[in-house]
Amino acid sequence: MARAKVEQQQPATGMTLIVLVGLAIAFLLFMAFLNVVKSGNLLNETNLLFATLIFYAGAGALYLGFGVTGIPSYLKFASFSTCLGLIANTAAIAHRWYESGHAPFSSVYEMLLSFVWTLAVLTLVAEKKYDVKVIGTVTMPVAIVGVVLMQLLRTEVHPLVPALQSTWLHVHVTLAMLAYAACALSFALAMMFLIQDNLKTETVLAVTSASTIAIYASIVLTRFEKWGGLNLVAWNPESKSEVFLSRGVRLFVVVPDLGWLLTLTLLVVASPLVFYGLARLKTGESEKQSFLTLANRAVFLSILLQAMTLVMFILRARDGRYPSLDADGLFPTTLAASPFILSGLVGGAFISLLYLLLLWRRPDLERSLPSADNLDRITYKTICLAFPLLTLMIASGAYWANQTWGSYWSWDPKETWAAITWLVYALYLHMRITRGWRGRRAAYFAIFGFVVVMFTFFGVTYLLPGLHAYA
Amino acid sequence: MAVSLSSIGHKTWRTVASIQTGVVLLILVVILAAVGTIVLQRPVTEPDEMRTAYSPQTLRILDAVGLTDVFHTWWFLGLVLLVSFSIVAASIDRFPNSWRYFSRPYKYPDESFRRAQHPQKLVPIADEESGLVAAERALHELGFKPERVVREDHFGIFAERHRISELAVYIVHASLLLIFFGTVVDGLWGWRATLNLDEGQTSNVVELHDGSTRTLPFAIRCDSAGQENYQDGSPKKWWSKLAVVKDGRDVQTKEIVVNDPLLYSGVRFYQSSYGPNGKVDKLALIAAPNDGSGQKQEIGLALNDTASLDSDTTVRFAEFFPDFAVRDGQVYRKSNYLENPAAHLVVTSKKAGKDFDVWIPQLDEVADNSKAPYLFQATDLKMGHFTGLQVSHEPGQWGVWSGVVLMGIGLAFVFYVVHMRFWMVPVRDPQTGKCSLWIGGTANRNRDAFEQRFKDLVALVEKDLKAVPASVSNPQVVTVAGN
Repeated sequence: MARAKVEQQQPATGMTLIVLVGLAIAFLLFMAFLNVVKSGNLLNETNLLFATLIFYAGAGALYLGFGVTGIPSYLKFASFSTCLGLIANTAAIAHRWYESGHAPFSSVYEMLLSFVWTLAVLTLVAEKKYDVKVIGTVTMPVAIVGVVLMQLLRTEVHPLVPALQSTWLHVHVTLAMLAYAACALSFALAMMFLIQDNLKTETVLAVTSASTIAIYASIVLTRFEKWGGLNLVAWNPESKSEVFLSRGVRLFVVVPDLGWLLTLTLLVVASPLVFYGLARLKTGESEKQSFLTLANRAVFLSILLQAMTLVMFILRARDGRYPSLDADGLFPTTLAASPFILSGLVGGAFISLLYLLLLWRRPDLERSLPSADNLDRITYKTICLAFPLLTLMIASGAYWANQTWGSYWSWDPKETWAAITWLVYALYLHMRITRGWRGRRAAYFAIFGFVVVMFTFFGVTYLLPGLHAYA
Repeated sequence: MAVSLSSIGHKTWRTVASIQTGVVLLILVVILAAVGTIVLQRPVTEPDEMRTAYSPQTLRILDAVGLTDVFHTWWFLGLVLLVSFSIVAASIDRFPNSWRYFSRPYKYPDESFRRAQHPQKLVPIADEESGLVAAERALHELGFKPERVVREDHFGIFAERHRISELAVYIVHASLLLIFFGTVVDGLWGWRATLNLDEGQTSNVVELHDGSTRTLPFAIRCDSAGQENYQDGSPKKWWSKLAVVKDGRDVQTKEIVVNDPLLYSGVRFYQSSYGPNGKVDKLALIAAPNDGSGQKQEIGLALNDTASLDSDTTVRFAEFFPDFAVRDGQVYRKSNYLENPAAHLVVTSKKAGKDFDVWIPQLDEVADNSKAPYLFQATDLKMGHFTGLQVSHEPGQWGVWSGVVLMGIGLAFVFYVVHMRFWMVPVRDPQTGKCSLWIGGTANRNRDAFEQRFKDLVALVEKDLKAVPASVSNPQVVTVAGN
């Protein structure tokens, strides 16, 4: 039904979006220029990062525009914008390197900087070499989220503690970033394969809804406080760190009303899945369709509500002082104290938007993607690249640990999860080579692999304790 | 159906060697390893933390099944051993086939093979010999070494590259086993320990991580140690000058820093920490007679040093507290950090035949400094430091590192080295009698890229065939054709 509606729409004129994005970039650059005039310092890291963000955002908008309209000129401008963003990104890395005197791999912030850079490079490679044109639709928003997170996690240049002063560390982290970026690419390719492979739009709906439910449910379940408040970690602005009551026990502040809002959003993001379930139960074709239409409307509604939640969250959690249940007085918090919740909210909205894009513009998307066979093969090739990189990453990490702690393997959570990631991709390769897994099963496997990678990258650092604590 | 012993054996073997078994085992390893990162692990967690995290009952159950130390339980080790078995069995099961493939290459394609082969191409040629010569030239041009295959009733050309690629996967599996072997050797014969040395101290006893001690056949002496700081005060570098002492002689010296250990007869000494040991190295004092007469004098004392102040009076540095507290007229040591130091001096006067206690700073609860014949003022305090060393003996690590290198090589071959084969056979159509060259080729991976290469080869052969008529006078061609 939605598809029929789309067919009737007039294709957008090619220039509108380009002009709009161009104007936005020009405006932001102008604002940045004013800022430069005020501070009198052009090439500082903030400006470079800002430029990176602007160009990546422009590229993301144009990639999305290309995904929606299929007008080739968007793509040209999108690549161009990505290139400009990449230049700014490279300059930011170089600046950071110069300022700190070591390769930028010693904190989450610096690693994100390198990760985003690698992702942009691989996007351009995939686009030019393998002709996967709309890959930017997926990777650029990830890069944008990365840059935004960086702005929040922005840290002063910290000198390296003795254990981190090693060439092997740089080798290790570079390999990790390359490997993870390759995994991210294989994930994006696998998703595109599924679209080309005629995966039902309803199935995507169910998965989308389930993932957003998982995000909101995990936030609400762990952070909901009585009277509708939301627990956030308190932040010490002077030391730029979380506030600890005792070793490993963080101080939480309660932001009033946000808990209710998140619960409401949870209910609304859950509704598409409910409607989908009802549609599955019905046998009549027309009833089925009417429930699916309801589900799609619910997705649209949930996006609006998610956007509102995100804005409210940013407004309330950006700064301000809130009471705590564990200590008297008011304590400050900031967005940097809750990077997880923020990424979750942004990620949820992003997943839903991608679904909407698929719902409205599926035929155009399918036209602009390489064939399913090709996507399947490129996904495999990307993993063939990622797997040796993962191997070398683990090996160099072990060598470094041996030089520093006198033990090449100590089963700390990060190490263990790196090994788990390696095993998962090893399983993928065995299934593919010896059991002939192709197509959909292989694509699901590649997606699962990337989920494990994300957990290793973010989850372990924030959820599980270990030696990698300072990373 | 009679179940014979050999058939049971055969079935067991098939099960162990099957990919399914391997996959199930690997999934089990993945799940258990993940559990080991979620449940707090005993070796890296304080017992108190364990008790606050889990209820006594839960903790008892977790301990009983070994979930609080997953990576050192017999069942995890057993699982890893089973994985090794599975890898060995799967490799042995498949190896003979691959080896036959490797050692006896299939050089002449028979008719049924030619029919099924993809990609393949028929190129018309004038006669057998000119076709084969053109084919050889084209293969040379692409960097292959073509080989003439001559049998009793047929002949052709065979060319291949990177046959080793067929065995690469066994290299990877062997390297994994080598790594396992190295870790098992380390688990059985390796050990890790700590050794804290004060500057100037020599020791040959290290403390293992389980609390017991181990005596080394040689001793380690720390000549000096130090720390360099960044401007903001955080540590930049720790270093220690170490000497290995054996039979009373220095056999090796090295200044170690973090990431650069000292190695002596298989035992490595790593710099892991540095800090004050709470012992005083030297205390500088100004002493002035209590009655206001005479000269002030500067003296420097180490702990238990005695200095004479005049012919009648001596002072001894009796006690030192880096971080003191006073309770009930007694002085206690709170920590080893130089937070709140106190020094205890004993001034002995022969004339009075009496000892006077002097405390710096003045501690009214403990003693009255003004009774002593001299007044003291501390001007400088040099503290002693210890260097914290990690000691490890890992005899299996060479297995691990060579396994890693081998795996890198193996993976490079598995993913990026392609075994390519080309066959060329001249065939005559039985009806028309026309001669053509059959060209076929295979690659064991990356087949889309190979098809392009195959097309290039065919184009080269065709180009070469067209060029031949112009060089008919070529003596080589003439003589060959004369045969």
